[in-house]
Amino acid sequence: MLRRVDIRPRMMDLRPSQARHSNSWLRNLAIGRNLKTTLVRAAVLTVGCVVIFTWVLLPVRVDGISMAPNYSNHSINFVNRFSYIRHEPRRGDVVGIRLTSPRGWSAPHIMFLKRIIGLPGETISFVDGHVRVNGRTLDEPYEKWACDWNLAPVALGPEEYFVVGDNRSMPKEDHTFGRAERSRIVGKALL
Amino acid sequence: MKWSRILLLAVVAALAVGAWVLLHPSPEHLIRKQLEGVAHAVSFGPKESYLARLAAAQRLAGFFSTNVEVQINVPGHQENRLAGREEIQQAALSAQASVQALSVTFPDITIIVNADQQSAVADLTLQAQVAGQPDMIVQEMKFTLRKINGNWLIIKVETVRTLS
Repeated sequence: MLRRVDIRPRMMDLRPSQARHSNSWLRNLAIGRNLKTTLVRAAVLTVGCVVIFTWVLLPVRVDGISMAPNYSNHSINFVNRFSYIRHEPRRGDVVGIRLTSPRGWSAPHIMFLKRIIGLPGETISFVDGHVRVNGRTLDEPYEKWACDWNLAPVALGPEEYFVVGDNRSMPKEDHTFGRAERSRIVGKALL
Repeated sequence: MKWSRILLLAVVAALAVGAWVLLHPSPEHLIRKQLEGVAHAVSFGPKESYLARLAAAQRLAGFFSTNVEVQINVPGHQENRLAGREEIQQAALSAQASVQALSVTFPDITIIVNADQQSAVADLTLQAQVAGQPDMIVQEMKFTLRKINGNWLIIKVETVRTLS
């Protein structure tokens, strides 16, 4: 014989010991076993988040279409300021570029999000929409849309990188691109 | 008892330092305040009356020296040059007439005060949102200031090309 059993918990059916157990479970969930430890943990977590998201991983919102379709308008990203501690920026990296001169470790509120296509000492040009690095055509798998830009060769200095957005279907005059000093590169886009 | 005295001394010292800073603000603090004033005077809402806009344009002119030079050179746009307070006031009024609302802020400001403590350069990011336009305007700018009769006044404004 089978008897159906209702397994749903009913508070009114709980005996005093069971109710106490339930209350302690709720208390543990809300404030932990030890209030002091929980407060310390919360404080450490808060300070950690503030430090990380203020000085290390800068949360940014993409505003504009210059990096489309790889980074769409209003998408959220992070700029990692520790990306270039061990090595210098590389070709193909998407980086945050500050507008104002850097001073100390203050993080900028507004940055350009661009892709590095030219490294220090190289000469960059655009011929019928194709990027040429020292005269050789650069393979750009991230380029999705057709481009017809032409740009005379630009020689980069020892501390300069050439940066440009991914959306080159827009008119060249409406697109912000060019040489960026190394000191202006804040970090690499995380996503 | 001993600890409470140390704590009291620390509080008194902190209050004294706070009062000193409040009464003797640094040039950076004063310049930052001036630049915030400029951003506030340039901005206007859609419901502001003509008189309020006129007063804002007059207030804006007060942040500049009489012989101020303004040079705006943005790629894809015609170069604009203004000279003197009058032209700035006129430019502000014509901007107010041509757009419905404008919001200007300077979110990143780097100030370098020269050794003589009488002149300074502020490198800043201008962020402007014009009513009805989907994209905001972002431009790096350089403001040169001089202390004239105890006030930090702007003597030169230039646009800077971040990516050359």
